[in-house]
Amino acid sequence: MGEPTDSAADIPTVAGVGLSALFLAFLQLGCSSFGGSSAGWIYRDIVQRRRWLDDQEFLTEMALGQSLPGANGVKLSVLVGRRLRGGIGAFAAPFAFLLGPFVIILVVGAVYGRLGDHKTLHAVLDGVAAAVVGLTFSTGIRSVAKGAADAVSIGIAMGVVLCVGILRWPMLPVMLGLAPVSIGIAWARGRA
Amino acid sequence: MRDAVGGTLATLFLVFAPLSLMSFGGSNSVIADIAQQSVSVQHWTSQREFADLFALSRAAPGPGSMLAALIGWKLAGLAGALVATVSFYAPAALLLFVVAKLWGRWRGSPWHQAVERGMAPVAAGLFLSGGIAVLRASPAGPAVWIAAGAATAALLYWPRMHPVPLLAAGGVLFGLLDLLGAGP
Repeated sequence: MGEPTDSAADIPTVAGVGLSALFLAFLQLGCSSFGGSSAGWIYRDIVQRRRWLDDQEFLTEMALGQSLPGANGVKLSVLVGRRLRGGIGAFAAPFAFLLGPFVIILVVGAVYGRLGDHKTLHAVLDGVAAAVVGLTFSTGIRSVAKGAADAVSIGIAMGVVLCVGILRWPMLPVMLGLAPVSIGIAWARGRA
Repeated sequence: MRDAVGGTLATLFLVFAPLSLMSFGGSNSVIADIAQQSVSVQHWTSQREFADLFALSRAAPGPGSMLAALIGWKLAGLAGALVATVSFYAPAALLLFVVAKLWGRWRGSPWHQAVERGMAPVAAGLFLSGGIAVLRASPAGPAVWIAAGAATAALLYWPRMHPVPLLAAGGVLFGLLDLLGAGP
């Protein structure tokens, strides 16, 4: 797949970021990124605090991640890990990122299993879920407003919400129908 | 017994690996599919249990999609949790790794930019739809829609608000309403 040279060609390894530092940073990020908006946490830590990547590099990686499927935090771990430490980094960063949450969730699950069917517990969890959805909505709305505030992009985002969210059409056909249209429009505008 | 566990692990893989490759816009966008598989198709959890596991997976730290691990854990213990988690994350991560290798060479080409720009609103729409799916799957009815609307407004108004106090506030509010007998 590709020439043997490409593994290093486009990855300027930032001096000073060791594999163990990368591992520890993502282990910490995994345990501290609450609420499902891991992209924001990773940005603050890797770009603003540690300065391992600059804004432009981070946004370029993020744009690639957005075009492909996968959990956003894991995708960013793969891309940041790869940019900093190549193939081994692309494996180590997401592994470290998921390790803490995986252990924690098993403990949480075991406690939940012990508590069993408790009416107030269900109510508390419904309240948490409502706040989580608020987080989802505000993040989604802001990413549309910030990334591409033009009528076409907003229309496409709304179209997806209508078809998948409201009408409950299966997402794969909707995506296969709308993604080419959206990419086509972006292409035509890029040339204009 | 051993065969039954093996069968469960195989089913977990067969359900979560395709969802991994379908999760455009983030793992949020396949929440509706996970709910459907878990409640109606495979009968792994009840609707009530699914809503609880979802909230637990989000209240805990991490990428928010440890829901797969919880479902796997419930079905087949540690092995189930491992299989579900790896199946849900690894396929998309591998695809991304391969594409990232190729992508670097075309960086800046017009069609490359068109793909990135064109996919962004589609991903955002799928992400938002995941939130709607969670509300629809919740057994708590209109109360969660109202609370989710209020939380959305609060976060749009105060973008720098830390999410953890908000999650805690949601939980405390609903817990109190339930104890006072006014809950849904």
